[in-house]
Amino acid sequence: MSVVEDEDATLRERLADEPAPALRVLAVVAALVAVEFGALASLVMSLPWEAVGAALPGFLQGVAATLAGVGDALAGLPTLLSRDVIPNGGYQLPSGEWENTFLGLSPAAAWLLRVALIYAYGFVWLLVGWWSYLVYRDNYRHADWAPVDDMVGRFRNHSWGLFGLAIIFSFVVLAVFAPALGPTTVEANIADPYLHSVEYFSEETGSVEEIYVGDANGESQSRGQGGENVGPLSYDQYDRFHPFGTLPSGKDLFTFMAAGARVSLFIGVLSLVLAGGAAVVFALATAYYKGLVDLGIVITSDSIQAMPQLLVIMLASFVLSGTWLANLYNGGLVLALLFGLTGWPGLWRAVRGPALQVSEREWVDAAKSFGQRPSVTMRKHMLPYVVGYLLIYASLTLGGVIIGVAGLSFLGLGINAPTPEWGRAVSAGQPYVATPSWHISLLPGILIVIVVTGFNALGDGIRDAIDPQSDVDTGQQDQTAAAGGGA
Amino acid sequence: MSRWSYFARRVLLMIPIVFFGTTITFVILRMGPIDPAAAVIGASGDTEAYQSVRRSLGLDQPLWLQYVDYLRDLFTLQFGYSWVVNRGRPVWELIGVYAPRTIWLGFWSVMLPLFVGLPLGFYAGLNPNTLSDYVASFGGIVWRAMPNFWLAVILVAVLTQSEQLFGFQWESWLVETNIVTPPELAELWRPSNFLAAFKATLPAALVLGSASMGNEMRIGRTAVLETKNENYVETARAKGVPGRKIVYKHVFRNALIPLVPIITGEAFLLLGGSVLVETVFSINGLGYLFYAATINADLPLVGSLMFFFILLSVGINILQDLLYTLIDPRVGYGGEGA
Repeated sequence: MSVVEDEDATLRERLADEPAPALRVLAVVAALVAVEFGALASLVMSLPWEAVGAALPGFLQGVAATLAGVGDALAGLPTLLSRDVIPNGGYQLPSGEWENTFLGLSPAAAWLLRVALIYAYGFVWLLVGWWSYLVYRDNYRHADWAPVDDMVGRFRNHSWGLFGLAIIFSFVVLAVFAPALGPTTVEANIADPYLHSVEYFSEETGSVEEIYVGDANGESQSRGQGGENVGPLSYDQYDRFHPFGTLPSGKDLFTFMAAGARVSLFIGVLSLVLAGGAAVVFALATAYYKGLVDLGIVITSDSIQAMPQLLVIMLASFVLSGTWLANLYNGGLVLALLFGLTGWPGLWRAVRGPALQVSEREWVDAAKSFGQRPSVTMRKHMLPYVVGYLLIYASLTLGGVIIGVAGLSFLGLGINAPTPEWGRAVSAGQPYVATPSWHISLLPGILIVIVVTGFNALGDGIRDAIDPQSDVDTGQQDQTAAAGGGA
Repeated sequence: MSRWSYFARRVLLMIPIVFFGTTITFVILRMGPIDPAAAVIGASGDTEAYQSVRRSLGLDQPLWLQYVDYLRDLFTLQFGYSWVVNRGRPVWELIGVYAPRTIWLGFWSVMLPLFVGLPLGFYAGLNPNTLSDYVASFGGIVWRAMPNFWLAVILVAVLTQSEQLFGFQWESWLVETNIVTPPELAELWRPSNFLAAFKATLPAALVLGSASMGNEMRIGRTAVLETKNENYVETARAKGVPGRKIVYKHVFRNALIPLVPIITGEAFLLLGGSVLVETVFSINGLGYLFYAATINADLPLVGSLMFFFILLSVGINILQDLLYTLIDPRVGYGGEGA
């Protein structure tokens, strides 16, 4: 935040003076990236490059094709924490032995091991992040002390905020490592079940048989009372392990949820970057210039807020449904844009007060009379004060966006149909809530509650860390932010 | 600036807001990629019908003229007709049918949390750092984080199965009602009708009020904790004023001011959020009407409803400012701009 810049030595020079600690950090980071490099490359390759490639002029197309080949090759590199290294999709012989699983463990144990390793890997990243902050603070920062140190210190002693951070961390790991975390993959189990097959040991024929995933799904449905049911932490008859049970269609709920977490996180983060960026720019501009600029943005934001957010998004996503925009990231991009466009007034209202406060300070006045350009004054002398408040409300709003997206997909709007989204699982399980197949609706809902509580707790923690005395406006702002437009 | 001229400024500011909000709706509806006339006709693609719909919607006019007509019609409260959802019926008539259910639902989802959340918060604040305080506070936090639609789904399931789960039947308890149905709002002054309508709305109102219930609990708790050690409360206690009276006279008043934005914010959320709850409970209210109009491409109806919502939320804002002006004498002093 308010890091004092050294006018004499730049960060680069300070790094050159004492490279050892930075190199140590770099080495660890490089090692961490290396073991997962293939996953990173395949993540990059999963972006819609075809659309970009088609738009390129002719002579660049060849270059793009070569790059794509290199990218695909890199994506094929073995990674440490993949299902290839620790497979959990095997079958059980009548003797009780497991075939084709990791070290002959049961699929449940193999899956659990992989999950534990992935979370450990994520946790190492968290530690490395903290460590590199310490290295920067102790070795390379010009100032011995900055206000942010106190904030970090207060946050470290804020157990409720740390609890929120832990939950959000788990959620982010779930979203980022979704393809490796699920007991099976979205492609094999949800998108194209008839292009993939599984092996199992058939009692009838007494030998190992192969069956299409789609057919196997048909035999492992969860349809409540009287029907079939594959509950949480159980195997279906093809020896596939389902940590969260199956959907009514027989697809694996955990895989569905992990992929849905990715969609939710993508929409939440992108919409917040848009809304937060607009909110900060407007807040700084209104606080600096006041008067007519302020009035104009008040009217604009009030007009947007006068229309119920969820209904506007519903309407706009319907109007845009036929266009090319609606197909990008299965409709996720449109939702992110819409949540961003309708969400900035709330964030702007929240940071406008702090921005106005800081604009009254003498150092802003001094910078003005010194002849500093307005943009520089805003960035250097006002922004650091506002960013913290933005973080509070961004955290609260993110929970709201996740609820809002889930609510829309519950109604069948927003994210296009076969793509996993949490609200769709709730909707699919709606007829089975009070039956043995309760898990279909209940587990996604509980996950939403936990994640949203986590975001709220994180917001509370940041609030107390930034400004332990004040009880920043716990009124309307919080409520509308955390409720996702009432979804 | 006096309180009332501040209030008058706030009201004046609402005019450009309504104007601008309506313009945004116009841009979405008329300048977006969907042709309203084609959407009304649907897949049949009858050219003649298409032309006649275009003409009667005024789509053959130049865009600026359409805009002027659109604004003129809405600002003179001529909301036109529904084209798909309920063909040929005036929008006002539809609002007349659908709005009372939403208002009834909204009224109770404002009142219920007030009468449950606030006392719970007071209780937690009067017994701070006890087990019941922690339970109430944590419950409020979790309760706030629950998605309304999910809570509604669970509640419907639990109530329909109440016989098996708890051994008592919700549907026939006190009065015979259905769970998933719009409440019957005729002749409410009769106790039996009132009770039936209340019971039919109760689950939906609880769900819709869940977020503000948690908020009101927090506010109640904070208000008690802040005022409990004030000198005037100690004086009152020393005088021998009974505890209940202290809570009512000194603590409750202080909790009122932050409650105003909670209540109006709640009313605000009802407009948008009632869609999901109304869909799950099949309460055919305004939110459901808007949803039905949207997915059926009844864009003329959508436009009029959106204008109606804008008017409502601006009205709520004015009401909030009025309440502030009446309750809190500090409002308006030194307040620059809005």
